[in-house]
Order: sequence, then C-alpha cells, then structure tokens
Amino acid sequence: MDFSPLVLSVKLALATTLLIPIVAAPTAYILAFCRFRGKSLIDAIVSLPMVLPPTVLGFGLLILMGPHGPLGKLWKDATDERMVFSFSGILLASLVYNLPFAVQPMRAAFEKLDIRLLENSAVLGLSSTATFFRVVLPNSLPGLAAAAMLVFAHSLGEFGVILMVGGSIPGTTKVASIAIYEAVEAMRYQDALFMSLAIIPVSFLALLAINRINGRR
Amino acid sequence: MKRILTLVLTVLLALPVAANAADLLIAQAANFTPAMQEIIPAFKKATGFEVQATYTSTGKLYAQITNGAPFDVFLAADEKRPKKLYAAGLSEKPFVYAKGKVVFWSLKKEIGSTPWHKAVINPDLHKIAIANIETAPYGTAAMKALQKVKLWEKVKPELVYAQSIAQAFQYAATGAADAGFCAYSSVFTTEGRKGTFTVVNEAPPVIQAACILNSSEHKDIAQKFVKFLASPEVKTIKNKYGYE
Repeated sequence: MDFSPLVLSVKLALATTLLIPIVAAPTAYILAFCRFRGKSLIDAIVSLPMVLPPTVLGFGLLILMGPHGPLGKLWKDATDERMVFSFSGILLASLVYNLPFAVQPMRAAFEKLDIRLLENSAVLGLSSTATFFRVVLPNSLPGLAAAAMLVFAHSLGEFGVILMVGGSIPGTTKVASIAIYEAVEAMRYQDALFMSLAIIPVSFLALLAINRINGRR
Repeated sequence: MKRILTLVLTVLLALPVAANAADLLIAQAANFTPAMQEIIPAFKKATGFEVQATYTSTGKLYAQITNGAPFDVFLAADEKRPKKLYAAGLSEKPFVYAKGKVVFWSLKKEIGSTPWHKAVINPDLHKIAIANIETAPYGTAAMKALQKVKLWEKVKPELVYAQSIAQAFQYAATGAADAGFCAYSSVFTTEGRKGTFTVVNEAPPVIQAACILNSSEHKDIAQKFVKFLASPEVKTIKNKYGYE
C-alpha cells in the first residue's frame, strides 16, 4: 500500500488553500466594492470554472500549459521546466478550478461589512490598502474561513482537471483521487476502499485544524 | 412562464428516451474507436440496426460490466478480461476480433526517421506518454518492449501515464508530451497524420478479444453483429487502421 497519493493530495490541498487568497482576495474585493463597466463580465469569467465540466477545463489547461501553449512557454522560459505533468502544473490547475469557490464566500463577507467602518477608516486617513488589511480582512474572518474550508475540501477531491494535466506520475502528480480511480480499474478494490476511507479522516482533521486556526483569532 | 416550464420539462423527459433508442449497446476499448466508428454505420447499412458504443479503457468497462452495466457486447483491448467474464459465467465464449500494434508517435518530424529504441533516448524528449501499464493492454505491451531492449529503467523517469491509450495519444498530439507509445490505429486519424511514427516491433501484438454478455437482452442482434465483425467489409476497415 502506497501512501504517497494521500500525502500528495493533502500537499496540493494545503498549497491551494494557502496560495489562493493572493488571487481571490483582490478579485473578491473588486467585485464587492468597485463599480465599473464590464464588472459582470469579470464576475462571469471568475465563476466559469464552477459551471464548466472539469474535463473541459482540464483539456483547455492542457493546451494552455503545454510546451506550445502561452502559459507553458512563459513557464519554460522562466524556470526551464515543463508546466504540464508537474506539481506546479496541477497546483495552477487547482488554483484556477478553485477560484470561484474562494471568491464567492469572500465577496459575500466583504459585502456584509458595515459601510460606516470603511468610511471611518477613510476619514481617519488610512489608505485603501491599509483599510483592506486592517479593517476589511479582520472583520470578514468567518467568510475567509468558509472560503478556506471549501477550497481545501474541494481540492482534496479534485479529479477531472488533474486527470487531464497531471499524467499520473507517482509522487509528483498522482493524487489520491487518481490513485483510487486506477486501483478500481486494476481491480485492486481493497486499495481503492482503503484510500477512500483514508481520505475522510484526513480531510476531517485538516478542516478541524483550519477551524482552530481561525478560532484562535 | 408555466408554458415554457412545461415545454422544458417535456423536452428533458423526452431526452433519455431518445438516447436509449439503440438496438445494441457496445462496450468498446478506446484504441479501436476509429475503426468502430466506421463499422457501426456499415452495420446499420447492412442490417438496419442502430448500434451505440461507449469508448473507454478496457479496465473501466470491465468494472462497469461486472457491476451490471447494460452492455450487449464487450470488445476489449486484451484477452484477459473477456476470459475472466467467461470464467465467471457472465459472457459467452470470447473470440479474437483484432490484433493491434504499438507505435512510437511524435509531432516532431525526426522521430519517425529513427528506430524507436534510438528515438526514445533522444535527449530532446523530456516527457513520453504511455498508457497505464497495469490497466491498459497497450501500456503493458509498450512496457514489455522497453524492458526487452533494456531501456525501461532508463526511460521511466521521463514517462507520464495516461488512463487509456486514447489519452496517451492525446498527450502526444497536443504536444503536452514530446512523444508517446500509441496504438497503430491512432496514426490513421486526422490528428495522427500530423506527426511521424515508427512501429514498435519488440512489443507483443495486442490480441483483442470480444464476447457477447449473458445479461444481453438482444442476443440475436449481438450474434448478427459478431458475424458482421468477421465479414470482408470489416476486414478492410480493420486493415485500414493497422489491425490484423
């Protein structure tokens, strides 16, 4: 019994959860507070991964991230590595796939904020960046926790996208969902069952941990 | 509003009925897809029967069949699984319907002009696609070929694993992988003609067996289809896609 797919799944879920605020927080902020033309367009683009079949998204990413694709070319020039079939590749796919799951709860949390808080902070001379970090974020922690949990759980179970861009390399891109799928195909039902059962406490424990971190604030 | 809703519901309810209008359901291993897509219309022309096929890896189809999927005929990419079904009393006696070959295929022009065991260690190739060596018969055959020429350990770090032979070709055809061990049949498709290939003669021929499933409710049509598979017309189609 090989534990590496389980470890890899947790690693991917943690990395996705840690990195996604970099993209999701500003996006949610813009969608919550700014008014501009084309906002609904941005909104729709961000939500697209939620409605597209993961295989469609995965195939698109395979082409974009391949050595001939624009993203893959950039990555190759920068790192001299191939983007598809690498951990960085599945991490990027995971970030794209999870973006709406992070943006939606964050946006809802920002929209629920008392507008007077922001006005006060502006009157007291805080810059908008400082306002974001010192007023907006601390006051929308429950929303952020919800987003983190959603993203974590969602990326633990990710399958279709990774199936398309991962290439099932043991220890690098062969995550638990893929390993379970392959075990079922190879008629190793016991392995499949074991891994499926292992995922449940793993995700549960991780969610508890995230909860504790958020609870400590 | 109510009218629109009624209309939408009616259409939705009618859909599954339309989708199940086939006379025969076939579970087809992915590698034989290009040939089967020509055989089905030919069979319809000859007999008038509507055939529907599901194309995916042999392992997945086998798992679905043993769990009661409503297929009539199973066309596998190996002999092992139809034999297993037969031994378990789930199917009639299997028969061989095709012998497939493994090719080493790439978008890169220079790959087709060198023997595959030289091409495979070409330093320009960083990722090589292979079908799952455990579940996809073409993957197993490719692995045996690599072992035979003593390159398995050397090439292993470069390998990326596809779930079926169809996906191995997809990895190579999109350029995501630099080359791939594919089924000879994929070479004859529109995408396949864009690249170059050499035949992997060291790989054992992939002997593909089929069987009629005992759970089938259309055994008479299934028998007709099996008979049709042995016809000269199908033989021509099979040869066209590199099967013996």
